[in-house]
Amino acid sequence: MSVKYIPVQWNVNKWFYDAIMLAGVVLFLWIFLYVAPDVLGHEQPINPQIYNARAFGICAFLMLTIILCIGPLARLDTRFLPLLYNRRHFGVMTAFVALTHAGYILNWYFAFTGQDKILGLLGANTSYGQIAGFPFEAFGIVALIALLILAATSHDFWLKFLTPPVWKRLHYLIYLAYFAVVAHVALGILQEQQNHALTAFFMACAGVVLALHVAVAIQDRKGEAACDGAWIEVGMADGMEEGRARIVTLPSGDRVAVFLHEGQLSAIGNACAHQNGPLGEGRIVDCLVTCPWHGFQYDVRSGASPAPFTEKVPTYRLRLVGPMIEVHPDPNPPGTYVEPIALPHFGRPPDKSVEEAPA
Amino acid sequence: MTVPEFLVGLMRIWGAIGAIVAVPFLIWGIDRIDEDARGAYVFRLLLIPGILLIWPIVLWRWWQIEAQDAPWLARYQPAMVHGPLVAVMSAAIILVFALGLAVRQDWPADIAPIQLSETQ
Repeated sequence: MSVKYIPVQWNVNKWFYDAIMLAGVVLFLWIFLYVAPDVLGHEQPINPQIYNARAFGICAFLMLTIILCIGPLARLDTRFLPLLYNRRHFGVMTAFVALTHAGYILNWYFAFTGQDKILGLLGANTSYGQIAGFPFEAFGIVALIALLILAATSHDFWLKFLTPPVWKRLHYLIYLAYFAVVAHVALGILQEQQNHALTAFFMACAGVVLALHVAVAIQDRKGEAACDGAWIEVGMADGMEEGRARIVTLPSGDRVAVFLHEGQLSAIGNACAHQNGPLGEGRIVDCLVTCPWHGFQYDVRSGASPAPFTEKVPTYRLRLVGPMIEVHPDPNPPGTYVEPIALPHFGRPPDKSVEEAPA
Repeated sequence: MTVPEFLVGLMRIWGAIGAIVAVPFLIWGIDRIDEDARGAYVFRLLLIPGILLIWPIVLWRWWQIEAQDAPWLARYQPAMVHGPLVAVMSAAIILVFALGLAVRQDWPADIAPIQLSETQ
């Protein structure tokens, strides 16, 4: 960011988002605790403390599932982009719900051991050499630590301080957290279920997460570019849509967003300087590429944010070889102006930088 | 010392070092490396849990920024391990579900409980 930090950057949209999220959590807990207890298959009588622990635990699992679905859903259908807008608040609330679950467990199962509760938790079951009866609590601890790291590093300061790629790598811990939660559930509560409603619920949630990620991987594979010497083929010029971009993946793995704006082509890095959001999936508003995730903007010709903001992304050189658009894979330093290339069929005179197709 | 005692001790030492790192970083270091933090103080309280948890990364980045040792391009190269990570997670989830369901025992609800040993 290029403005002073504040504790939480709320605005009307974020208040609305957080209010709906909080209402959803309360609604889930209410349904779990009071509306549908018989459906959930608590065969043996349990006390309110355990019931509350299960309610918050399953709520955290569901929230984590939704968080993991938001990313791929937004990639597959732009109507889901608003869900992505404030996903970090969703993550923080998930960590608090998971922490509440852990609190109920510690303050019931390990409250009467006469020793430190954490020591009791870590030492109660040490049968790590077997599947049946495996100390599933360990997976819960791993997931909770991962969620706390994600929540604790969610402020914008961490993005700038760590840089978006490092921050992203750190936040890939969410995949470890999700696996650990599934393992915690599969080797824990599912071991005693006679009613299969919860089993089906957990498997359906995990199945949706996996299916959505596979769908996005298939979509991304279609965007991989063909290589022609040093230059990389982007696609045919007549396939470009005004105000929108085509994203190509370079052999290095970097992604480039090639935009058509007022009949001219420009290319910038696809990763937003804020959170590495996919700029190529955004639109051009007043000559500014607008990130679909959080609205950060960049001049399509220079990759620089308008003043007073200071964010910049790299730019790339383009050329036309006949009807084929090509991009050079070497990035220019962020903020470097590159003259756009005019498309002849837009009624403009051909740009001098346009090269003719080799014989 | 038991394994649980060792783990709890390790957590305490980790947190204590994090606290030691947090004090100079939040009072002095953050102003040196980030102009947006100058004059902004309340938000620094929110950074404390993060520093306690990932203080080695904080020290590494603090040193890297002070030494101006990071290439500009690195900031714009998204991590490309997302696909393999998702594949590993997917395989692990399928495996752990299969294992969990395979070892699940049917509980004979209509059998009376049996005392396995005498209470002391």
